[in-house]
Amino acid sequence: MNMMLKKQFYENTATESKLPDADGIRQTVGEPFLENSRISCREIDVFYGQKAAINKVSLDIGSNEVIAMIGPSGCGKSTFLRCLNRMNDTIDSCRVTGSILLDGEDINRTDVDVVLLRARVGMVFQKPNPFPKSIWENVAYGPKIHGLAPKKNDLDEIVETSLRRAGLWDEVKDRLDELGIGLSGGQQQRLCIARTIAVSPEVILMDEPCSALDPIATAKIEDLISGLREKFTIIIVTHSMQQASRISQRTAYFHLGNLVEVSTTRQLFTNPRHQLTEDYITGRFG
Amino acid sequence: MMTFCGSGIKVPRKPVEKVIRCLLAACAFVAVLTTVGIVLSVVFEALHFFHKVPLSDFVLGLKWSPQTAIRVDQVGSSGAFGAVPVFAGTLMIAMIAMLVSVPLGLMSAIFLSEYATRRFRAVVKPLLEILAGIPTVVYGFFAALTVAPMLRGLGRFLGLDIASESALVAGLVMGVMIIPFISSIADDVINAVPQSLREGSYGLGATHSETIRKVVLPAALPGIVSGILLAVSRAVGETMIVVMAAGLSANLTANPLEAVTTVTVQIVTLLVGDQEFDSAKTLAAFALGLLLFIVTLILNIVALQIVKKYREQYD
Amino acid sequence: MTEKKKYNLHSVTDRVHSGLSRRYRAEKCFRRFGVCAIGLSLFFLVILFADIMHKGLPAFLQTQIKLAVFFDPELLPLENLETADFNALLKSSCRALFPGVKGRRSKKSLYKLVSDGAAYELRKQVLRNHKLIGTTQDLWLIADDELDMLMKGNIARNPTGRFNQQQLYWIEKLEQDGRLRRRFNLTFFTSGDSRDPELSGILGALSGTVLTLLITLMFSFPIGIGAAIYLEEFLKKGRFSDFLEVNINNLAAVPSIIFGLLGLGIFINFFGLPRSAPLVGGLVLTLMTLPTIIISSRAAIKAVPPSIREAALGLGASPVQVVFHHVLPLALPGMLTGTIIGMARALGETAPLLMIGMVAFIVDIPKSFNSAATVLPVQIYLWADSPERAFTERTSAAIIVLLVFLVLMNASAVYLRRKFERRW
Repeated sequence: MNMMLKKQFYENTATESKLPDADGIRQTVGEPFLENSRISCREIDVFYGQKAAINKVSLDIGSNEVIAMIGPSGCGKSTFLRCLNRMNDTIDSCRVTGSILLDGEDINRTDVDVVLLRARVGMVFQKPNPFPKSIWENVAYGPKIHGLAPKKNDLDEIVETSLRRAGLWDEVKDRLDELGIGLSGGQQQRLCIARTIAVSPEVILMDEPCSALDPIATAKIEDLISGLREKFTIIIVTHSMQQASRISQRTAYFHLGNLVEVSTTRQLFTNPRHQLTEDYITGRFG
Repeated sequence: MMTFCGSGIKVPRKPVEKVIRCLLAACAFVAVLTTVGIVLSVVFEALHFFHKVPLSDFVLGLKWSPQTAIRVDQVGSSGAFGAVPVFAGTLMIAMIAMLVSVPLGLMSAIFLSEYATRRFRAVVKPLLEILAGIPTVVYGFFAALTVAPMLRGLGRFLGLDIASESALVAGLVMGVMIIPFISSIADDVINAVPQSLREGSYGLGATHSETIRKVVLPAALPGIVSGILLAVSRAVGETMIVVMAAGLSANLTANPLEAVTTVTVQIVTLLVGDQEFDSAKTLAAFALGLLLFIVTLILNIVALQIVKKYREQYD
Repeated sequence: MTEKKKYNLHSVTDRVHSGLSRRYRAEKCFRRFGVCAIGLSLFFLVILFADIMHKGLPAFLQTQIKLAVFFDPELLPLENLETADFNALLKSSCRALFPGVKGRRSKKSLYKLVSDGAAYELRKQVLRNHKLIGTTQDLWLIADDELDMLMKGNIARNPTGRFNQQQLYWIEKLEQDGRLRRRFNLTFFTSGDSRDPELSGILGALSGTVLTLLITLMFSFPIGIGAAIYLEEFLKKGRFSDFLEVNINNLAAVPSIIFGLLGLGIFINFFGLPRSAPLVGGLVLTLMTLPTIIISSRAAIKAVPPSIREAALGLGASPVQVVFHHVLPLALPGMLTGTIIGMARALGETAPLLMIGMVAFIVDIPKSFNSAATVLPVQIYLWADSPERAFTERTSAAIIVLLVFLVLMNASAVYLRRKFERRW
């Protein structure tokens, strides 16, 4: 009996996640499409086994912009992010449909080389995850495996530039041989950013990079992101609306696997067009 | 009628509880007694032995032929209790076993935990573990009666002279026995490496094998090393395979195709059969036992300590 | 700066691209290594089993030879049947098969076809049934082990080998007359060790094993569980508990032969218990399996959620009551599983038993915990040392029996675990 009830409950919630479809939320309001887009996603669906995690998301991302993804937890923003460098491939039950064009090439096709793709689209994760190696080794890891720098000098150069860009050089230049794990949380996360930019990607994905950090470390990383914008396109998932408003030009709001609204950051936070967005940014839920 | 202090409720009787607790404590104490028993039984006899044969002769001597020293007066002069060839043989066989089991066990664990489908793993893992459940006497039989003639034949074909009790045979079969031991420990530690490290590596565009070789294995290294230490301790203490497949006479040689003997083989040959309890020959077995106990104890303690540290790192 | 420019000159994509095929080759290679490692390990397993099955299965059949035995009243005086010369009876029956055989050497080689044990069989039959005397009976008797090997194809049928021309002729004749057959080898399961392979069996070793394991179970199960309960439920965490923990973990990894030395030094030399006895063997194996049982029992106790203890304590139960009424019943399946696995290990253990002298040649089937006995793995070790080809076969057969027991024990452990596996 108990089991039956439970099952029914899950089925109800499952259908519930599809309900907004019928209400017409699926149509994203705002400006999801751009003229000169770097990445353009069309009708992306993601399934975990039978369960749909993302419904028909279509979105363009421009060059050298910082776009923030916000929304309540479990809304699919991280899942969407992971589609952009095919990190979802590492999850067995996960299935992604739709097209994702990066510079005009569909990266969601099975014949696309994920290694190459991930060299072009780097990723920074929620929890800082430096490898159990020295700081130098951590940053040099990417260039080494990709064969970007044949000589040790070149590698040193790359490590230094990347650490400088990540604003970590002055703090660690004297102890490049120490373990990356020995750094503080904020430094670890900047190390991970340095590690990512060492490969010179075109796009950087950031999955709540500051959620595990204290406010001071967070501020440093936010400064860093604003600076990185000159060279990279940055897509950042965040649970903090303040952070989104501080660092991004455009913001996308996700709700239960649907992309509800995409606008310029100022527009979205001052004058949301969708009721759900308004409810969320005014703190009625989330 | 029920009252709280009346006879309705059975109040636990203190003395009985105390007796039970003491009994349980006594059970736990058996473990301590066992250790004490091992130390006592081995140390006393070993000390007796070192009265007759100086420790330096035992540890540094190059000649081991205990059978000749039956009479007590013969012992001191003959110097037949130099254990170096015995240690060397033990080490050589253990090393061959490691050369077989470490690569095979490690690669099996890597494949099972990183590449294999769930179904494949569910079938193959228990199959590998069967290897660990087979009694060592069976391996010994297999080594002596199947592998040894096979290798001899192969050697003759290649123009090599392989002794029928060569170190190679015992080491090879012992290695097979240890494969599941290594693979199950490696499997555990590889699974304990956080997924976030793998994702970090994939996110930079590393291939699967690059991630394993350059991120997962270095991260799992302490655990793997301690697993290997435990495996070495097991190889050194393994008895039946070497008793049945390795040699009896102590040769000091670096050639794995020749017959060598091991500590455990010597203990068995010295103690099986009728014995005078006070002869140096019998006591020598206990000295070897003491040595074996100390070596394996150190290996185990170091390995367990590394594992503990490693667990703390990722908890 | 020029360095940096050079680095930017080629696009990163191109550089990555140029290395890709090499990296994918490395990937494939690495994967193949893994497959090979597993393949090789499984190959060893298959070879091991195939080899033992191939060698051992024939031992479950035994060659018998049909003799027309005339129970000659002259040879079998009724008044002292017990001491009658049954060997002579057997020999005369053999001669009756081939009446033309003359000369001592020829006769001797003829007798060699039948096992020495056949005389005992005749004696048994006559003692059971006196009416046989004076009659002629067609009896199937155990053939000699060499003939058995020949029939199974393990010895070549040419006169240069174990058999001479004459013997080979007789064997052919016997086959033509239908006087040779292969039947289930009951002897193997009903008799103890023997110098003659065709008369040897594993019953002695099996009963030794049963006696030894009974002792082991009797001691290790209660002590192991008691120790686990004490460590988990009553001992305060601290230096002493750490010490106990390290102690137990180390004992679990001490080589088994050291436990043999302990048994020899303490049980036999100090306490003066009898050598070669299942009692001492059982005690040594108890100490050896205890760590296994303690460790798995502790895991089983740990798996019982604290909420159950708190609930019982909240109802006013004493700690001892909580343990014996609530924790123990819930943890028992896990403890049993651990015990079975520990016993399976003890069943296959050989080395420590060699130390305490359970390695003697014992014909009688042990009846008590104090009588000299051997166990199945030691029997395997002893037979493996024997030069006769027939013993190799029997060794493999004994291994098969041992493995069957191990499989049964492990399967029951797995079954228990599956059945009582609980997720809280």
